[in-house]
Amino acid sequence: MKVVGQELPRVEILEKVTGQSVFGADVSPAGRVLHGKMVRSPHPHARITAVRTEGAERLPGVRAVVTAADLPPVHYGNFVRDEEYFARTKVRYVGDRIAAVAAVDEETAEEAARLIEVDYQVLPAVTSGPEAMAPEAPVIHEDHADYWAQPSVENRRGNVCGHKQIMRGDPERGFAEADRIFEHRFHVPMVHQTYIEPHTVLAQFDASGKATVWVPTQAQFPLRAAIAQILRMPMTKVRVIPTEIGGGFGGKISPTIEPAAVALARKARQPVRIVMTRGEDFQGSNPRHPFHLRYKTGVRLDGTITAREIELVLGTGYSAGSGVMISQGAAVRAPGPYRIPNLRIDSYCVYTNTPTCGAYRGPAGPQLTFASESQIDIIARELGIDPVEMRLRNAFEDGDETPAGARLEDVHARETLRKAADVMNERPRPAGENIGRGLAVAHWLVGGMASSAGVKLNEDGTIGILTGVVDLSGASTSLAQIAAEVLGVSLDDVHVRTADTDFAPHSTISAGSQALKSMGSAVLLAAREVKRQIQQVAADKLEADLGDLELDDNKVFVKGSPERAVSLREVGHLALEHERGPIVSTQSVSRLVPHPAVAAHAAEVAVDPETGHVRILRYVAVQDVGTAVNPLSVRGQIEGGVMQGLGQALSEACTFTDGKMDNPNLLDYKIFSALDAPAVETHLIQHPCASGPLGAKGVGEPPIIPPPAVIANAVADAVGVRIHDLPITPEKIVRALKARRQP
Amino acid sequence: MTAEPIRITVTVNGESFREEVPATRSLLDFLRDDLGLTGTKEGCSEGECGACAVILDGRLVDACLIFAAEADGRSVETVEGLADGEELHPLQRTFAAAGAAQCGYCTPGMLMACKSLLDRNPSPTREEVTHGIAGNLCRCTGYGTIIQAVMEAAKES
Repeated sequence: MKVVGQELPRVEILEKVTGQSVFGADVSPAGRVLHGKMVRSPHPHARITAVRTEGAERLPGVRAVVTAADLPPVHYGNFVRDEEYFARTKVRYVGDRIAAVAAVDEETAEEAARLIEVDYQVLPAVTSGPEAMAPEAPVIHEDHADYWAQPSVENRRGNVCGHKQIMRGDPERGFAEADRIFEHRFHVPMVHQTYIEPHTVLAQFDASGKATVWVPTQAQFPLRAAIAQILRMPMTKVRVIPTEIGGGFGGKISPTIEPAAVALARKARQPVRIVMTRGEDFQGSNPRHPFHLRYKTGVRLDGTITAREIELVLGTGYSAGSGVMISQGAAVRAPGPYRIPNLRIDSYCVYTNTPTCGAYRGPAGPQLTFASESQIDIIARELGIDPVEMRLRNAFEDGDETPAGARLEDVHARETLRKAADVMNERPRPAGENIGRGLAVAHWLVGGMASSAGVKLNEDGTIGILTGVVDLSGASTSLAQIAAEVLGVSLDDVHVRTADTDFAPHSTISAGSQALKSMGSAVLLAAREVKRQIQQVAADKLEADLGDLELDDNKVFVKGSPERAVSLREVGHLALEHERGPIVSTQSVSRLVPHPAVAAHAAEVAVDPETGHVRILRYVAVQDVGTAVNPLSVRGQIEGGVMQGLGQALSEACTFTDGKMDNPNLLDYKIFSALDAPAVETHLIQHPCASGPLGAKGVGEPPIIPPPAVIANAVADAVGVRIHDLPITPEKIVRALKARRQP
Repeated sequence: MTAEPIRITVTVNGESFREEVPATRSLLDFLRDDLGLTGTKEGCSEGECGACAVILDGRLVDACLIFAAEADGRSVETVEGLADGEELHPLQRTFAAAGAAQCGYCTPGMLMACKSLLDRNPSPTREEVTHGIAGNLCRCTGYGTIIQAVMEAAKES
């Protein structure tokens, strides 16, 4: 291949390095833009007895105030319709939406927000999943049973909004066959995506009653549907225009401030912009689910796993959101990339008085892998088996099934695992005490979603691609590379445009590592059809058989006689006179076969036993990526994912006191800076994958998944203490070391 | 509510601007809203993320923490002034080639931090580069490609 597989700079890179990219807050429409501000609950759980807006409405400069009274009584939600946009009778988390205001400037909007008076009757709150499952726990949704839910959402009761159970084989017999049984509990707190661009939106309402919404979103089509549903508008009266997006990581999928901006713009008859403050973003968006996990594993003395019993409790927040789907997916991936004949998995999705969690990159992955891979290491050490050997002995292979019964192909787990171990072992362990190594392996299942894309030949011989997929992590460049490969042109000759919901063919969301798989498959089909049309026009011109024509170097030529050629530019012109007309094709895909994508990471760390500080000396990331369409993008995704995962491993956690987040700012919520970041030794395992476009696998999610387990295992190897509760802070290490010294 | 406007003269990317601004207006809002230079980004408004980093009289500052009035009579460099016409700054070229910009939101501030570093120290070590960008958060790249881009730009110039 000539273009696919090349390390090419992103197609939009010049705008990005010159400051010309238009992000959410950079959009400027005609007309004076009002400043919008949300009014949010200060209580985690309370009954609303009165909302008074008169003071705010009377303030000079205020143009609109909206509350639940301005919205139709709509309950929404993709899996359980348990959410109302503005709270009507109850608030269920600190940050719950009460009202929104729009004013001529920011100061006036802030003053108006303060002038909205709300009377509350405070209720007891519950912020952890297991506490919310207790019989005496306050009930967060009293009308729960009346809510509409998808049929797949099973066993709803109390604060449990979904319980998925998976049984495989005979767990009882599996444990009876085991020589040893191990049981451990783990906890992973909520963490936040912390994209550098906060949530922002600009909404405008025109005289025909149509809303235009400029927003950095990963999911323009679902967002259009959600806004229309919440405001009870015809869907095509909402036009969502996706801007450049300053990081999403799953945090910019569900609606947050967009419906409020539209409601304000409709009432004020002026465009309204809302920009979340960083504190508001931490508390009013969709972070990663906190998990409590129990893993019970039966093994033979040779390390063969005979059974696993797993219980997952996921705190979803004040609404089910995507939590139900994520808890179901978690059940399927919980056993890890292993062949385990006997399984019992219970996954509970539980309401809590916290923000609703969302689909943070690799949803449930880091939590499950931290627990599962920590335990595999504990077991291997107890049995005196090399941890890599134990993993290799149990690793799944082509033909094995997921716990849900789907057959796996293109697995490559063993090769990926072996490579990570080999790269780490290439260099000897440095001399000195308190240095350790750890490894973990994980998988992600990459599905595919309904997608379409258009490809055309321009009259000058260049190629145009029209998509509706947001370029989150290099998708546009990779799509252009796929079309360029098929049509025999260079990347410079391909122009990609992400259009808005009015004009783009329906496209998948940018999430779950499936954007390239879904859209790439659609672009591949469309490019192949455009190629056929080009051949048709060229065949008439060259008086040759269509099947004898090849495309390369911006030309069509007869196989074996390159002098019999016509340029794509000429074909572009000829097509307009030809009976077939302009060359263009739009193609669709749906229900693509899922494939596993495996990542194996290894780290070497030095732990200071006095301070508990963990220094990462080496970090190795190996990933099975199928065909790397653009290795520059693939490596970039892997290295970024590793750093996000290391933040979760060592420093990140949203903590709550009395239901209020303690650290909603970038000083107290510590993401990795350049000073913390180790160099990443990245290695790609490349075998074309049958279900991906030109063999490509999804790459975005896997790299964020192993790091917490890798660091936990390396720390245990270095100083002999095992941390079961993320993040692995210096304080926890010092405390564990002290506890070991003074039993 | 709003204080008396203040008349200021600020040089931005070599061009002089005379404007009236409220006393409380930040340099960031002045650049973005009054001058329409939206290349400089807002990430936290608390001086923690570095997305709004610009160079003020040769020193790297977070524009969200500086009042526009403090820039009176001084010179500001932003991402829009990095290229010399069509000619990209070496950092812009190496950032593009190395894949040092992914979503691109931290990129303007990151580029200014790197320029500030190279202005003061034209051939930095890896460690000096790491310290030079320590105040600029990036959530996409993991920083490795950014450091590589700065080392390559230093080699070029």
